[in-house]
Amino acid sequence: MIEARNLVKTFPARGGLLAQKAVQAVKGVSFVIPDGGAVAFIGESGCGKTTIGRILSGFETYDSGEIYYNGEDLSALPPRTRQERLRKVQLIQQDPYAALNPARTIYQSLAAPLSWEAKRRHKEKGWIERRAREVLELVGLNPDVVLGKYPHMLSGGQRQRIVIARALTVEPDVLVADEAISMIDVSLRLGILTLLQTLRRDYGIALLFITHDIAAARYIGHDGRMYVIYQGEIVEEASTDELIRSPVHPYSQALLSAVPVLRGLERPGQDRYIPLGEFSVTETSGCRFAPRCRFAHDLCQKEKPPLIPWEQEDHRHACHFPTPRRVVAEPLEGHS
Amino acid sequence: MSLYDLAPTAEDAGIHIQNLTVSYDTDRGRFNALKNVTLDIRPRHITGFIGESGSGKTTLAMAMMNAIQPPGRIDGGAILLDGAGDVLQLRGEPLRRLRGRYFGFVFQASSNSLNPLKRVGAQLMDLGRSHGISDLRGLLREAKALAERIGLDGDRVLTSYQHELSGGMRQRVGLVFALVLKARILILDEPTTALDMLTQQAVLEIVRSIHQEQGLTTIVITHDMGVVAEMADRVVVMYAGRVVEEGPTFSLLTNPQHPYTQGLIRAIPRITGNLDDAKPLPGSPPDLATIPTKGCVFRERCYARTSVCDTVDPVPTSAHGDGLVMCHGVDAS
Repeated sequence: MIEARNLVKTFPARGGLLAQKAVQAVKGVSFVIPDGGAVAFIGESGCGKTTIGRILSGFETYDSGEIYYNGEDLSALPPRTRQERLRKVQLIQQDPYAALNPARTIYQSLAAPLSWEAKRRHKEKGWIERRAREVLELVGLNPDVVLGKYPHMLSGGQRQRIVIARALTVEPDVLVADEAISMIDVSLRLGILTLLQTLRRDYGIALLFITHDIAAARYIGHDGRMYVIYQGEIVEEASTDELIRSPVHPYSQALLSAVPVLRGLERPGQDRYIPLGEFSVTETSGCRFAPRCRFAHDLCQKEKPPLIPWEQEDHRHACHFPTPRRVVAEPLEGHS
Repeated sequence: MSLYDLAPTAEDAGIHIQNLTVSYDTDRGRFNALKNVTLDIRPRHITGFIGESGSGKTTLAMAMMNAIQPPGRIDGGAILLDGAGDVLQLRGEPLRRLRGRYFGFVFQASSNSLNPLKRVGAQLMDLGRSHGISDLRGLLREAKALAERIGLDGDRVLTSYQHELSGGMRQRVGLVFALVLKARILILDEPTTALDMLTQQAVLEIVRSIHQEQGLTTIVITHDMGVVAEMADRVVVMYAGRVVEEGPTFSLLTNPQHPYTQGLIRAIPRITGNLDDAKPLPGSPPDLATIPTKGCVFRERCYARTSVCDTVDPVPTSAHGDGLVMCHGVDAS
């Protein structure tokens, strides 16, 4: 289990003539990834969701807050030890084209982490290839076909499966999938989602799914939990079903509204609402979403809403005027 | 009497593609990227080209402008543009002028199509000069008005370098470039692939309203059925260089005839409904080198394959009222 409390990350200002201001990408975020659980971070580009994923997988440090990994506080550990602890959290990035070395065969790409693993665990020589074949079968590829190939000979979906196979070589506890399907052909996306689901169900690997595509995030599991992130802060959190059925924060509602409606098969939600402006990062003492919110009142400009429960304890929101709205598309009769 | 004998108004620009075949020379041999494509693109409609990578949708759009680059080659066919004749017969300066007058193309990665070393305004002036426009000041004025029309701060954008703009802003700048010379045909190649959902909706909304306002012929190339469902009037489904189904969006979505179209729609992750209803499409996207030369190109991934699919090319059958489908299964029923 991973528990993060009040995580803060600021990227330092860049120097030069036109010195830029420091950017606080993550502003005190708390969340839990249970063993074998499914958690999704939802938000626009630049909301800080990627930074959180990179912190969890050890690619990025954090300024303050705590991360507990199976009960142990990592913040107290020296960076190198911390990174070693986070080895079982594996990051799967957006671009499967950039994630694989084009000059290496698939076997070479998998053998590199495996030989390290073999040395650590004193395995015999044949183990590496056996294990490479095993992980490829786990991700639904035929080892005899792909082992000798180079990345350019595979489709985007197959490449992403290789990246997942490589992450599996360390027998991870958590897979952090950062927009892992957005560059893959639509026809193959569902296959990758199903694969992640299977890995979770059969091997108890927890999933952290980072995306702007809420419809896809739904497919990592019924029992999942969603965190909606706006400018480095959680603005709403609930179980996946609850958040889709009755979001109360206008930003969650905007994100849900933006999911394309399949005309003829679905009808748009009656309260569908899409803000067209982009976000600005001007500092405010009030709600950060207020400048784009069509439901904002005076209070929203002045006072920052805290993250508090809505009806049940596990549905929380940060809005002065929480209102359930029906924004997602509904299936039409006969075309569910 | 064919459709293009009816004189179009000076503004309407329909495109009539006849028997178009395009091939690419690779180190593994010469392969057809498009084979015998016949298709009418209607003026004042938004047409969505949908298909996986390698289906030929971008090649088709490039061929419409006679802009296929080596190792690609147009092997045959005609592209009749209302008021301009066969685009494939033009070369050199007349072709360049025709492209400037009719076409506006927004590239897949707008960030890659802008010069990182020049301000947006300077690049607009380059565009004006290369098309022989003497009133560059006027061009900039128009670009600014257009930028403001689509929700950008005109002055700021014209004086910006591309890295100073967000993904959504770059995509809008791409639109300004495409439209500032008064294009009649707007082609958008994967206009929203790199954008998040909110920005995607904003860009689609802008394209929709500009299309309406200026009475354009708009083509949206995408692999995302959601994008097509949101904005296209008609959909062209492409697979392995063939148009396998074509028709009005509503009819095609509610009553897809081709097993590939059915599979594409079923594979969309949906926000409501039963999770188990969505099914991945089996197999891999077509690879030019392994496309069968005889019979149906989709048969390896098809649930309805029969022996006739292995040997006989399916022919276009009328569907969706004024559309078509290419499948033996539909012929039989």
